[in-house]
Amino acid sequence: MGFERFVFYVFAVILVYAAARVITVRNPVHAVLHLVLAFFTCAGLWLLLEAEFLAITLVLVYVGAVMVLFLFVVMMLDINVSPLREGFVKYLPMGFVVALLIFAEMFMVLGVKNFGAQAVAIPERHGADYSNTREIGNVLYTDYVYPFEIASVILLVAIIAAIALTMRRRPDTRSQDPVAQVAVRREDRVRLVKMKTEEKSG
Amino acid sequence: MLENYLPIMIFIAIGIAIGVLPVLAGFVLGPRKPDSEKLSPYECGFEAFEDSRMRFDVRYYLVAILFIIFDLEIAFLFPWAIVLDSIGMFGFIAMMIFLGILVIGFIYEWKKGALEWE
Repeated sequence: MGFERFVFYVFAVILVYAAARVITVRNPVHAVLHLVLAFFTCAGLWLLLEAEFLAITLVLVYVGAVMVLFLFVVMMLDINVSPLREGFVKYLPMGFVVALLIFAEMFMVLGVKNFGAQAVAIPERHGADYSNTREIGNVLYTDYVYPFEIASVILLVAIIAAIALTMRRRPDTRSQDPVAQVAVRREDRVRLVKMKTEEKSG
Repeated sequence: MLENYLPIMIFIAIGIAIGVLPVLAGFVLGPRKPDSEKLSPYECGFEAFEDSRMRFDVRYYLVAILFIIFDLEIAFLFPWAIVLDSIGMFGFIAMMIFLGILVIGFIYEWKKGALEWE
């Protein structure tokens, strides 16, 4: 248990550090990279909790896809950062109230009363042949089939919403039509004109 | 439980070493004679025209978002493939309905021309 606890604390310290840097660092690209570090360490913590499938999914989906999109937005988008920082003191009390409300709500749901050491038994350790993915699969497609199908409907809504919001025709763009290029004949492009030879003047 | 991850740790260590050692070797062994021309921003041989941040087409995001959605769909396929023996026909049909609903979205984006690059 000793070494495992050591690994947990290493991951926890890195996670808290990375999460704090996400909101304190000045350069937005550095903030996104710290968020990637936070996701990686979070995946490490989930591996310690024997949630292997969720850990791999976190790396695959969040680091592999979502953070690429974030980086892409932050690196390319024309955001001038300094006007965004104006009025920090003015909005500070309101932000503090909102943060307090969020903390109170989260504490009521996730607090010691519901998720403390007394409320939830410590999960037992499993052997090397235990597969977390198999356990998820056994219930996800049978007992929880209805939420599973709802997930596909939500993804469908996301596809349609993304297309509806961002899809627009650009009539001014020029593009090549390979079919027309291949099918073109000599007569379409070159016209031979018969004319008399010009007399040499002078 | 942690001893199961020893091969992965060795793998990560070798990966980091292969990534870091060449850079370190170049840093230590290579000659460095910087001047202002060598250190200036470089754009294919001439002076940089403008800032690297600029407005660009929103359809790049569309491609990225569609990639994320189908990435999530694939994440649902992994546990299904592992337990397909034990969940039987019911689980098979459940996944086929799931995929069918997403194929509707795929047909929609195809017909709408979201995959075309005009």
